[in-house]
Formats: sequence, structure tokens, C-alpha cells
Amino acid sequence: MTAPESSPVRVVVLGGGTAGWMTAAGIARLLPGLASVQLVESEEIGIVGVGEATLPHIRGFVERLGIDEAAFMKATHATYKLGIDFRDFGRIGESYIHPFGSFGEEVQGVGFHHWWLELARHGKAREIGDYSLAVAAAKANRFRPPSQDDSLGSTYGYAYQFDATLFGPFMREFARGIGVERHEGRVVTVERDGASGDVTALILADGRRIEGDLFVDCSGFRSILLGQELGVAWEDWTHWLPCDRAAAMPCTHATEDLRPYTTATAMPAGWRWQIPLQHRMGNGYVFSSAHISEEQACEAIIAAAEGTPLADPRILKFRPGRRAQSWSHNVIGVGLASGFLEPLESTSIYLAQMAITYLIELFPTTGAVDPRDRDEFNRLVDMEYDRVRDFLILHYHATTRDDSEFWNHVRTMQVPDSLAGKLELWRRAGRVEKYSDGLFYDASWIAVYVGQGMLPEAHDPRAAMIAPDALARATERLRMAVTGEVAAMPGHRDYLMREAARLAEAA
Amino acid sequence: MSNPREPLRRVVVVGGGQLGVLAAIALRRALPGCEVLVIGTPPSPAAFADTAATAMPFTNKLHDRLGLAEADIVTRAGGSYRLITRFSGWGGQGQAGAVAYGETLDPALKTAFARDWGAVRLPGAGAPPVGSLAQVLAEAGRFAPPPPGEPTPLSAVDYALRWNPAAYRGLLIDSAEALGVGYVEGMIDRIEPGEGEDIAAVGLAGGGMIPADLFLDCSGPEASLIAAHPAFAFTDWSASLPTRRIYCSQPGAPMAALEDRITLTGLGWVSEIAGRDGLQIMLGTPAHVPREDALALLRLPARTVIALTPGRAERPWIGNIIALGDAAARFEPLGPLHLDLAHRQLALLLEMLPGRDISPLERKEYNRRSGLMMEGVREVLALHFAGIEAQRVFGAPPLPGRVAAVIDQFLRRGRIPFREELPLLGQEQFALLVALGWTPGMPPAAQAADAAGEGAARAAFEAEARAALAFAPPYDQWLSRVASRAPSG
Repeated sequence: MTAPESSPVRVVVLGGGTAGWMTAAGIARLLPGLASVQLVESEEIGIVGVGEATLPHIRGFVERLGIDEAAFMKATHATYKLGIDFRDFGRIGESYIHPFGSFGEEVQGVGFHHWWLELARHGKAREIGDYSLAVAAAKANRFRPPSQDDSLGSTYGYAYQFDATLFGPFMREFARGIGVERHEGRVVTVERDGASGDVTALILADGRRIEGDLFVDCSGFRSILLGQELGVAWEDWTHWLPCDRAAAMPCTHATEDLRPYTTATAMPAGWRWQIPLQHRMGNGYVFSSAHISEEQACEAIIAAAEGTPLADPRILKFRPGRRAQSWSHNVIGVGLASGFLEPLESTSIYLAQMAITYLIELFPTTGAVDPRDRDEFNRLVDMEYDRVRDFLILHYHATTRDDSEFWNHVRTMQVPDSLAGKLELWRRAGRVEKYSDGLFYDASWIAVYVGQGMLPEAHDPRAAMIAPDALARATERLRMAVTGEVAAMPGHRDYLMREAARLAEAA
Repeated sequence: MSNPREPLRRVVVVGGGQLGVLAAIALRRALPGCEVLVIGTPPSPAAFADTAATAMPFTNKLHDRLGLAEADIVTRAGGSYRLITRFSGWGGQGQAGAVAYGETLDPALKTAFARDWGAVRLPGAGAPPVGSLAQVLAEAGRFAPPPPGEPTPLSAVDYALRWNPAAYRGLLIDSAEALGVGYVEGMIDRIEPGEGEDIAAVGLAGGGMIPADLFLDCSGPEASLIAAHPAFAFTDWSASLPTRRIYCSQPGAPMAALEDRITLTGLGWVSEIAGRDGLQIMLGTPAHVPREDALALLRLPARTVIALTPGRAERPWIGNIIALGDAAARFEPLGPLHLDLAHRQLALLLEMLPGRDISPLERKEYNRRSGLMMEGVREVLALHFAGIEAQRVFGAPPLPGRVAAVIDQFLRRGRIPFREELPLLGQEQFALLVALGWTPGMPPAAQAADAAGEGAARAAFEAEARAALAFAPPYDQWLSRVASRAPSG
């Protein structure tokens, strides 16, 4: 162990929502001795509490912090999540699950979807989801953690669905337990260095002065430091992603079954989520205020809720886009202060986690920010946002819906060039532009393309070189194996209860 | 309804070297109904992908996929194994370091090593700690390839193969013939244009026209097909890659070693590749080094001397012509990157195999990824010339792409920024930079890592190393036993 040569870098996190406490916990846990963390939050200002549904990456974050999964799930009333069920997106009445996992497997270097397209041509294909263990398990409301070998049982991942209003407080307790100092108060003045323009301190309403070397702006859409104080420009993506409001309302579970997946159902002016937690169902209508009013959205979500409402609908306002730079001077934006993409693919917590991870990798250990690290951070964050953005736009654009102005707009709008090329490559040759960096890979793109009825004109010539009957037999064997695996899994609720019992015993 | 694309009916591969024949095998296996014809234009001595006696681990996977047994390469093509490459002199007199393959090191162990590597080493303190099982085995001279599919103490050790290029090519030709790949000797002296940017046929000197749907240009640095295309453009890499002359030796004495060497000398770099039928030495120099000085440094008699203008095809796929190997990119044989690149580009072609009607967007996507692969090779090569010692010999070329940023992040943070389609994994780049004499910085999160975790990782590594040494036979004995099974003739 080498002791840090200088005194710890003083990190001040502004904002005590999900992003703020995740940042504080991450830095305090992973950079002990290098950084001291203070967090300023105000009870007057509520939190948005985004991200009831998460992506598998959250598991790595929780684990890296040394948090026990079962304890964490208990505290946030969490359930397991195998994917998202998209309903009515491509066409009303159609649905598909975008799984945390693959469909079939590559054979002779040819991706499974080419074989599936060939089978479909001969009228012998079942839904592509029937060849995915994650999809089949989700549909059966069953769950078991993936196996650690190379077998079929390893071909999926999982995430959590949890109560976002409990996740922030859970992270707060954890962070305070490892030395994060909390200040209650509202920021009234931001002090800056005259020469460098760097932020030097936050002055609270009661006159307290919180000094720091590095400031993390987790103040949500207000973006008090990055946006208001430093004036970093906002790139607006409303023209591609027109939804700018959500009407959120929890309700009781209507059935005994506990779905190990989130449901996203397309609506006339957006879509609505259903997120099953242990004790309730989260609901919300994400909509475009240019197309319907807040009242209409609230009425729609009340009408759509399957269980008994547990509260009145609450309106959340947002705007899709990101800051031109997420790190400027000595201020780093994490969460909504840096950018926002609607929760269609449950990316909010991932985007915060990604920024925290890069910040820790590029942390200015001497307290002085090196512009090279800042540039590297901004390059990585921009790439992540832009790639997720294109993937979200796909969900709206790949549709035949013409039943409302909203869908007419998104169906016919001009998409970003980076997406247009991807779409054309898929249409012409059934191929997916390949990246190893970023969030969504081939299987995700294929799930949405196929699920929303955007089939290519042509597929790989090699898929036609096996007799259709032989191909059908091989895929049927795979489907039977998937069915057998699912049959051996416990029910989602049973598995959760068993885990809870195990935890109680251990305690 | 999606329909299968109409498959290619005939593919012509121009170039009958080891790359062209392997490409023909790959296409024939992918499309058994497609006629594949190799035009055996004589390979140029400057076609490094055709004269290479070794590749990297990716090639082993490609061989597997194409039904080429590693055992056959060992018994019939003089095959042998490399576990590490040792770099000497790049960080100054007496400095050395080994680079192994793979990304198997425990992160905690990597941190511990980085700490040791990063420490100021007093004179006489000895070499930095061994950083891989491969290095432990190579230095003990113990190894045999582990049987696939069952866990052994050697299973985590990745390796590269070496071979005798002529014998290896013979092996490939046997396989190609068995698959029904056609072959004609000859030189191409005319090209018949087709629709758009396509070509319809190539003409053999003193012979007829050979039409095809797709043409693979494996003709070496002359790029006889693609360079003749009006849309061809060459991106010159001379400014960033300073090697101008390559001296290749005749084979020296046979040598069973698990390591190869790349050494920086006052005149240029020297690459020594061990092999069952002789050590091969190559020397790469800048333009100004006198020939006689270079030849003296080579130690063995010279087989050939090659003048090099490095660079790459701006678009390696134009119309229905795809360039592979030296026809796509020319660069110094500083490490076994030529075949590795060519084979990765070939695998990309197999992944994106077109039908008879090629879509401009699939060409674009192929050229994007293939371009990233080539630029990745340039970046890895440029790392070699970024140090002070190398710049004393080769001058100080500007660093291309993200090389400067990578070195900066490595020095300050022990971090290797991820880049798409690189020939080396992050951990391999890390080891390469250490071997080239750079000292890694500590990642912030590692500065707070706990010593107990590192100690445990170290102990686990040492236990693994003991198990590997106990399991592995003496390599020279194993090799001569296996080689003696070779069929006579």
C-alpha cells in the first residue's frame, strides 16, 4: 500500500437523487483516501426518482460497491427482470420481448436470425422469441439466475425492477456509512475562481460555504452548475424523441403472477410502462405534450391501470438531449444534469452508472483537472448517449402505425444519419452495424427490428443451403431445449420468496 | 418476406500464396455451390502475408473453423509454438520485457504488477516480476498444447503457431484441392469492366477471359487488381511508420524456443523468429542506414531486401473487388501482424458474405470495420516508434490516431482506452507498452486497492504457475516426439 501523497481531493456532489447518491457512494467506496465526499441536498426539492427498471449492468455496480444483492433487493422491494415486453409498437395487437439475452446461436458463422428468416420463408418458423431462453422464461413468469458455464442456461442476463424512491435512500444510507458527509440546504450562490472560472464553493441559504476541488452536478434538469452556472449548451433531441412528460401512478397487483419483465405498451401519444415490484405495480404514461394534455394523460393512465390505484397520477417533465460537454472546468454532470433519454429501454440508471465509472477511471487524483482526461470523459459519455439515442428512435420509427398524429410524426420523421445507415444496411442485407463499445449490441437491434415487423428484404445466402426440413428439425431441437430449461425453473415469485427466506435464515 | 440472397456463383482469387489459398478454402467452405478459382500469380517476396512464418492466436481459431488441424501443421508443416515475444532495448540498454497473449490476468494481480513495474527499479534489482503463465512456461522451456475441451493447468495459456511457409502452403493446397478449388497459373494482363464500379472478368496473358461475381485481390503489395481500379486510392502511412528497408535472412540453425525476440539496435529493429527449420532474422531500418552495415547486423546471409512504402487502400472493397493482405495494407513485419490482419479481414468477409448483388451499404460497413482493423495495426506499430530510444534510430514521426492519448492514459493512469477492431487486447497493449520500456501509472481505484487482495491474487498466481510447470512437459522433447510422427516425404 502506498499512501496518497497529497490530501484527499474534496468532491462536492450537488443533489441527493439516485444519481447523486450513486456518485457519492461510488467515489467514497472506490477511491478511499484519494477523495473525500460531501453531498448537498435539499428536502424542499423532491427527486424525480427515475429508473424503476434497470439493465444488467447495475449488478456489476452494486457488486463492486460490496453490497449484498439480497439485502439490496429486500430494501428496494425489487423483483428480477429478464427484459422488456413491447406491445403495439410496430402495429397494434403485436408484441415482442427485448430480452437480456440472445436468440438461438450462430451456426457456421451465420447469425441465427438469418436461419430464422429462412425458416419463416418456408412458413416453418415460430416467433423468434421462442428460441430465446430469456424470452421464454419471461413469458412463463419464471426465473433462475443464469448458469456460469457455456450451456444454454448461460445465454441470458438479468436486472432488477425496484422502487426508485427507495433506491436513492438505500444508496444514501450506504454512502453515509462509508463516510460521505451530507449537508441539508439549498444552494443560493456558486463561487468561482476569477482566473480559471472553476467552481470553488457552494453557498447555502443559511450561509454555510461548502468548498471543494471537484463538483459533481446531480441537480437534475435544473443542472445548477453545468447548465446554469457554466452555461454549457444543451443539445435538444425533441425532434426525434418527442415525449417530454410522464404521468406516473402506482397501483396494486391485479394478479398473483409476478412478471420478471417490464411492459412497455405504445399509446396514441407515447407509451406506458408497467413495472412489477414486490409490493405494487409501477405505471406511467410517457407522452408528448404537443400531442395530448396532462389531464388526458392522467385519465389514460388511470383507465389503463390493471390494479387499484395507490396514489393520484404525478406529472414529471423532461426533455430529451444531452449537454454539449458533460465535464466542463471542474464540474461533472451525472444523471439528468448531463443528459436525458426517456425510459423506454430503462437506460437512466445505466447512463448515470456509466458516467460514474468513467469519472472514477479518469479521476483527477491531484485535484487539478487535466484537459486530456476531461476530453476523454466527454468523448466516452457522448458516444454512449448518441448510441442509445439511435436505438430509442428505432422503436418509434420502425412502425406501421398511422392511428394518431404522434405516430404519423415519428414514422415519417427524418432520423439521424447515424441511424439511417444502420436501417438501410438491415433492410438490404439483414446485417447489423457492429460495435464492441456502447450499450446495445446485435441481439438487441435484431429483437426490435424483427419484433416491430421490420424484416429485411434479403438474408444471408448460406441460410438457404440447408434443406428446410433439416433446418426446421434443428431449430425445433433448440426450441425444445429452451422449453425444457424453462420448465425446470421456479416461478419468479417462488424464487423471490425462497431468496427472502434464505436471507432471513442467514440473518 | 425476406428471401435468401442469390449466392455468388464464381469467385476468383488472384494470388496463389498462403493467403490466397486460405481465402479460397474459406469461400469454398462457406459456399459449397460456388466455383472458386485461384489464379496463381507468382507471389512477390515483399508480400509479407504470403511469406510470414507465423501469425497470432486468431489464426488458430480460423484454422479450426476451416477444418485445418493444428496437429497437421505441426507434423506436416514444421509447426511450432510461441508463447511470448521478448522485447529488448526499446527502453534503453539492458531493458527487456515479455508480451504474452490473452487477457487472463486477475485485475488485482495486474494492479500488483503495475505497482512493481511502476516502481523505480534500482540498478541490479533484476527483472520486473513475471507477468503471465506463458512467460513462466517459456522461461522454463516447458509446454505442450493442452487438449481442447478439458480443463488443465495450461488451458488459460494462449499461443501462436509458427510454420514453414512453403510446407504450410502445400498443406493448404491439399485441402483446397480436396474441396474442389480450381487453380490456374498465369499473369493477368487485362480487365473487363462491368456495371458501375464492378469488373466483369480478368484476362490471363496468352489466355482467355475469366469472369466472376467477386474477385479477391491477394496479389501482394502490387495489388494488381484493385490498384488498377479507377476508384482506387492509397493512404500513405510513411509519415507515421518510419521503417523503409527490410533485410530478411536465410534460415539459420533450427531452434525450438517458446519465445521470439524483437530487439532495438542502433541501426533499426531486429526480429528473430525461432523455427524447426531454422531461425529467421529480419532487420528493419530507416532509409539512411548503409546496406553493408545492415547486412553485417543481420548475422545470417540475406535472402532478400525489401523497400517499403507503408500505407493502405483507402477502401479495400471497391465494386466487386476485395483486397486482402499486402494488397490492402503494407507495413513493416514488426511482429506477426500481417497474417493476423489478413485473416481477421477474411473473417469479416465471411461474416458479411455478400450475395451476387452487392449493396453499397454493406461495402461501406465492411470498409469501415476493415479500415478500423488497418488503422489499429498502424497504431500498434506506431507505439513501437513512440519511445526515445526508437526515435534516436528512426527519428520522431508524428503519432497517428489515438496513440498519443493511449500513451498518456497509460503513463498517468495505467489505462488503455478501448478502441474497436484492434489487433491486440487491452492487456496485450498494456504488456507491450511495458515491454517497450514505458512505466504505467496507477489507476485511481487501484491506489486504494487493499494489499490483502493483491497478496491473495499473487499467491493464486504462484500456485497456478507451479501447477502449470508440473503439468507441462519439456517443450523440446515433446516437440521432437510429435514431429517424429510426421509422415515421411
